[in-house]
Amino acid sequence: MRPAAEMKDFRRDLVSLLPKLRRFAITLARNANDADDLVQEVCERAIARSHLWNGEGRLESWVYAMTRNLWVDEIRKRKVRSAGAVDVFERDEPHVEATAEKAAYANQVQKMILSMPEGLASVFLLVNVEGHSYRETAEILGIPVGTVMSRLSTARLRLAAMLSENSERRA
Amino acid sequence: MLQTKGLALEVRLSAYIDGELAESEKLELDALLARDDEARALLAKLRSGSAFGNGAFENFLHDPVPLALVRQIKQGPGINPKSERVTTASLPRRSARIWPRILAASTALFLLGGAAGFILGSATDFAEPMNQADDRPWIDDIVGSHRIFSRQKEHLVEVPGTRAAEIETWLAASVGVSFTVPNLDRKGLSFEGARLLAANGRPAAQLVYRDREAEVFTICFLKQGDGQQSDEFSETIRGDLGLVSWQREGVSFVMIGPSSDPALQDLAETVAANI
Repeated sequence: MRPAAEMKDFRRDLVSLLPKLRRFAITLARNANDADDLVQEVCERAIARSHLWNGEGRLESWVYAMTRNLWVDEIRKRKVRSAGAVDVFERDEPHVEATAEKAAYANQVQKMILSMPEGLASVFLLVNVEGHSYRETAEILGIPVGTVMSRLSTARLRLAAMLSENSERRA
Repeated sequence: MLQTKGLALEVRLSAYIDGELAESEKLELDALLARDDEARALLAKLRSGSAFGNGAFENFLHDPVPLALVRQIKQGPGINPKSERVTTASLPRRSARIWPRILAASTALFLLGGAAGFILGSATDFAEPMNQADDRPWIDDIVGSHRIFSRQKEHLVEVPGTRAAEIETWLAASVGVSFTVPNLDRKGLSFEGARLLAANGRPAAQLVYRDREAEVFTICFLKQGDGQQSDEFSETIRGDLGLVSWQREGVSFVMIGPSSDPALQDLAETVAANI
């Protein structure tokens, strides 16, 4: 059993991590509802297993790895196929800080990103956005470093192509 | 460091961008880039994809997360996160038009029987808006003061807690609100002292406490002059801070502490009963 103070810190850190955790879950599930369910399950599990967290390294790496494992289990159970699962942008409210046009653009961009082939968005997020090393990313996602490298370069090229398409469309 | 010889050039250049290559490979690619236009173009393309993706992923952080999940983490199970969803607390300040939604979200939570509150942001399925302290600029000032002064180790307060009687007289005269410094020893909070603040151009009292882990908790109040009465406690999370606000006899109160503290509302209720 963790001391109360440590447990409090752990819960606090977990709350702080939620937005990033949800973002990571979305790259796996590519579906907002599934991602939220996944995040909930991960948090419950993380709290239940907080005694296993030794405080070394990044908490998010530990939680992310747990998230990936749970998602793999979920896929096995449900035999979910990624195609057609993208509904993350189907929400009632536009992005709160953006104008309607900007919100539509942001949603469109996000949708394009998550429509990339399975696995690309997660790798890109972990390495390019959150600064994990290739090795950390491989450990979190349970894939070889070589796969991280190939997925990352593919993701970057696809994103560059999206940028180009978007620029032409908006011109 | 990685060995990428034999892999596709885009893979190698991608690793080059991330600084994952051994020095010898890096030098090799430096030389290639110096003489090969296509390699340079490919590198530029990879970099543009990186920059574009970075911006897009940033937007995901502004998406809503379930409020009940936050509360469940803080307080334990028993709440279904799928029934409530609000936005993350760590976002930049919202435009004014979003506030009615925020207020409405809080009301919905009360109706659900939850203890309190909401996190900043938008929500779906709102009830009618309720007038809460959070829609007023004074809360921003109070939160700003809390953040600034709580980091002051040597000068946490203006008048130390050993002069509680003087604080009561001084702040009652300055703020126009008679009060008693609540004794929160049984709640594990020691009274450190007080400050006089300006909040939205009005004098506000700030009573400062510390818990056993040296976390700072503050009680702030000011006269609003609208005679509004509400026995309901409204909880808000702003980043790492939790706020519980209430109104009584034309005075607005707010208790501020770490957002992860599951007992913040209980503390606020104790304060309300004793101040």
